[in-house]
Amino acid sequence: MLDLLAYDFIQRSLLAAALVGALCSTIGVFVVLRGLAFMGAGTAHAAFAGVALGFLMGWPPLLMALLFGLATVWITGWMEEKGRMKLDVSIGILYTATMALAILFIGLMKTYNAEVYGYLFGNVLAVTSEELLTIAGLSIVVIGAIVLFSKELYFIAFDQEMAEASGVPARRIFFLLLTLVALTVVISLKTVGAILVFAMILIPASTAYQLTHSLSTLTWYSILIGITCSVGGVLISSYWDIPSGPAIVLLATLLFFVAVIFSPKRQRRSLAVN
Amino acid sequence: MASQSPPIIHFDHATFGFPGVVALDDISLEIQSGEFVGVIGPNGSGKTTLCRAVLGLMAPLKGHLRIFDCACDELRCHHRAKIGYLPQKGVVDRNFPVTVLETVMMGRYGALGLFTRPSGNDRKIALDALAHVGMEGHRESALGHLSGGQQQRVFIARALAQQPQVLLLDEPTTGLDITTQHNVVELVQHLHKELGLTVLLITHDINMIRSRVDRLVLLKTRLYAAGPPVDVLKPDILSQVYGKDLVITERDTIIVEDYHHHH
Repeated sequence: MLDLLAYDFIQRSLLAAALVGALCSTIGVFVVLRGLAFMGAGTAHAAFAGVALGFLMGWPPLLMALLFGLATVWITGWMEEKGRMKLDVSIGILYTATMALAILFIGLMKTYNAEVYGYLFGNVLAVTSEELLTIAGLSIVVIGAIVLFSKELYFIAFDQEMAEASGVPARRIFFLLLTLVALTVVISLKTVGAILVFAMILIPASTAYQLTHSLSTLTWYSILIGITCSVGGVLISSYWDIPSGPAIVLLATLLFFVAVIFSPKRQRRSLAVN
Repeated sequence: MASQSPPIIHFDHATFGFPGVVALDDISLEIQSGEFVGVIGPNGSGKTTLCRAVLGLMAPLKGHLRIFDCACDELRCHHRAKIGYLPQKGVVDRNFPVTVLETVMMGRYGALGLFTRPSGNDRKIALDALAHVGMEGHRESALGHLSGGQQQRVFIARALAQQPQVLLLDEPTTGLDITTQHNVVELVQHLHKELGLTVLLITHDINMIRSRVDRLVLLKTRLYAAGPPVDVLKPDILSQVYGKDLVITERDTIIVEDYHHHH
């Protein structure tokens, strides 16, 4: 397996996977704790519709993905805040509507475009040097914002109303979180793809959730698990010649179930029952 | 509590609600620094609206509300960090991954403001707050592993960590057993005396607080009475608010029959 590391494209894809793994698992902590799981899935599909429109019109696909992603998170966030509609209903509608748009845009293309499907399933092994630089730059922006606003993000994840009542600008922080989720999805599209990106946001944080009762420990565990699964998945995928996205996600899922089985929380519960 | 200094909370003919729904109507009330005030009234009487107004989360539709030196007419309130707030006891997920100390540290965040990281001094303030509520031995415990009463103590410590001038408690005893209810109210009374805090305690349990507060405020959309408990807890005043659900026993215990059992 070590001789694989000599290849440039493997080095690039390992770096990209580590960055995306770290990014998704960090934002994932706040997504899981704030109960935004479904919103992330919806954003990923909306971003894919943006990609499809980009290819159809000859516009930059990632920029379109970002616009679609941001529009989705801001509309659903606004609807939740106004109490107009339950979050799962509004995101469910936008989720399917944007997926319908994606299918429509692809249908309108005159020729079969394999590159569009690349964004649906992702291929970390095909990441170019320029894309790696973009991923690195945007990852620094998102992780920097999370570090800068971590105490407020933790507080609104725990209890947004309590945060607002004690003087934290909770509303603005909530919209910052939504924006960071959309950015993370777009950054990760090329490597893990629209369908699987959400697993990378959800699973590492949920796995860490099984293992600790401390917010700070949870964050570090999540990042560690995220990077391990991404890098491990890329190595497995190149060694056995299987698609990289599923390798990463299935490895993460396996770790999740192991964590559930050996969770100290679960054992505490069974002790309590006995 | 006749004091010459201006009130720290001043409702001036203030009406709150949403367009078409009035939750609190024409409230005029002054609260002085250092007072212990109990707010009572039946379900749906606007107690929680009063709480949200004091927190600066709701602007008056009519009239004015001034808290400290902040006019809260447009929700640009800068006083929130000065009010330590204990929200109604929600269901705390027993697996929510937060330790007791992490919870109390959150009390520092509003006062610190954006871009400032908590320092060793903030940690010391949080630990002092835990000591005030007698929970210093549990600082590394998972919040979800504590009993309901212990969780309320931790949330009171979180409010204290803000170093507030006012402690605002929304139904702090709901869902607790009777001994724990007394312990929590005793703790609040103790903090009021020891730290000189102004306390605004919202509750439906009149008997629990009648002997402890300086003043009672009786609400049912309008303000029916405000004054020392002996002046407010008179059958003719109470029956205006509670109607036939009110029973006053021979030992002067006030029983408000659970409305829902009759309907």
